[in-house]
Amino acid sequence: MMFEQLVDMLNIGIVVLDSSLNVCHWNRWMALHSGIAAEEIVGGNILAFFPNLNTAKFRRSCRAVLAFGNLSFFSQKLHRYLFPFRPVSSYGVRFDYMQQSCTMGQLRDENNVIKYLYITVQDVTELVAYEQRLIEKNVKDSLTETYNRRFLEECLSREFEKVKRYSRPLSLIMLDIDFFKHVNDMYGHQCGDFILKSIAAKTASVIRKVDILARYGGEEFCCLLPEAALNEALEIAERIRTTIAKAPFIFHDIRVPVTVSLGVSEMRDDVHSAEVLLKLADEALYEAKRGGRNKVASLQY
Amino acid sequence: MEDQLEQSITDEEMDILQEVMNIAFGSAAADLAEVIDIYVVLSVPTIKVMKTLDLPEYIRSAVKEYDRLSIVEQNFMAKFKGLAILIFPSGIGRALIAMLDKDSESTLESDPVEALERETLLEVGNILVGACVSKVAELLGDAVIYAPPRVIVEDLAQDSISRDLFDPDKLAVTMQTVFHFDGEDMSGLLFLICSNESIGWLRQALHEFLKQFE
Repeated sequence: MMFEQLVDMLNIGIVVLDSSLNVCHWNRWMALHSGIAAEEIVGGNILAFFPNLNTAKFRRSCRAVLAFGNLSFFSQKLHRYLFPFRPVSSYGVRFDYMQQSCTMGQLRDENNVIKYLYITVQDVTELVAYEQRLIEKNVKDSLTETYNRRFLEECLSREFEKVKRYSRPLSLIMLDIDFFKHVNDMYGHQCGDFILKSIAAKTASVIRKVDILARYGGEEFCCLLPEAALNEALEIAERIRTTIAKAPFIFHDIRVPVTVSLGVSEMRDDVHSAEVLLKLADEALYEAKRGGRNKVASLQY
Repeated sequence: MEDQLEQSITDEEMDILQEVMNIAFGSAAADLAEVIDIYVVLSVPTIKVMKTLDLPEYIRSAVKEYDRLSIVEQNFMAKFKGLAILIFPSGIGRALIAMLDKDSESTLESDPVEALERETLLEVGNILVGACVSKVAELLGDAVIYAPPRVIVEDLAQDSISRDLFDPDKLAVTMQTVFHFDGEDMSGLLFLICSNESIGWLRQALHEFLKQFE
């Protein structure tokens, strides 16, 4: 009696199934989040109510629990959820369904024979949202929302290894805002921040989805282009240059003229490390600067 | 200390335990095949009594042929209480995924393979340990419950099996078996380590078991 009350008051879903997977108990938490009352579902088959559970893994887990009495787990990382419930907290806006961490185990009768299995359902949506935010903060530049340098370097070394193994194309664009110090001095740092953000957004809008754009230094950005050979990378760089040269950057009703210089490098047999690829793009960037700025250059034509 | 060890379990008890293990593992393999379509061959278990301190060295010598390995451990508790350790050669995860997902519509394509491998090791470990331990317990008149399994070593060289992994200075009855997935080129090692505290119960239960046949 006391335990039944307790089961209904816990902030966790508890379901008891018999060996045919018919529902024997459905606690209040489950009723609340599923919108299915206990009276409605008790006696019915769980797979009929939740067809998404009819997977090999779920059926295997049930059979193993009933035969061996082991515990079975459905981690959020792999399964996201078992029961498709609406997320409840405001953190849920990121998710279509409540993120759940579930376990399944044995229940024995008075003769110590396994007759039932239980499933517990824990709402971990908030935790997962925090985790995702932390991961984001860890890989992104807070001002420009592009990736940070560390993340870029990780991706670069990973891509570099891949390219070496499978000899696929890989290119890199280094981008620097022309006379950025002048923007800061003339219009103030707030304007400088605005320009950084705007350039990041404009650049992001013309690169491909697979490309990785990162803030490399103060006013320097780097874009990693997997599966792109030099000519393709040069085209993308030129697109970035013209988009920015043509765009009106208006800060507090003042039009701020901004251009960028870009250096492009490509993975070749003689490029022995990711650092060399970066260095080649950096050198090309200075070539573009020396050539009068608002230009695209490469040392590997 | 050596004397103490030998006194802890008699030769007769070792023989009974060997018999119990043979029956238990036989029926575990049969159940695994019947219940969840996992065909696994379990070798005749080797039983040894030793100090937990000596376990890492013992395990290391048993897994000499694995360059790199992953270890899953799972505690079980009841009167029969202890630790199950499963040792897989590294890289078996992918093959296990293929084995388990043979008939399934995988919904996991977007997940990183590493996470999937880890989860699969846990699942296979969970099932193997569950089947083997529950059969031993059943024969000895006990019903065990399990703690969640954990991956304690992931893709590491074999010398990573350190003393820190086990509670030192305790006595352990180890039951070692080599399992081999039928039809697949995959194998691993399972150690069941019965903790010091339950050795008293184990001895008693073994005698009870024998009484059935007297």
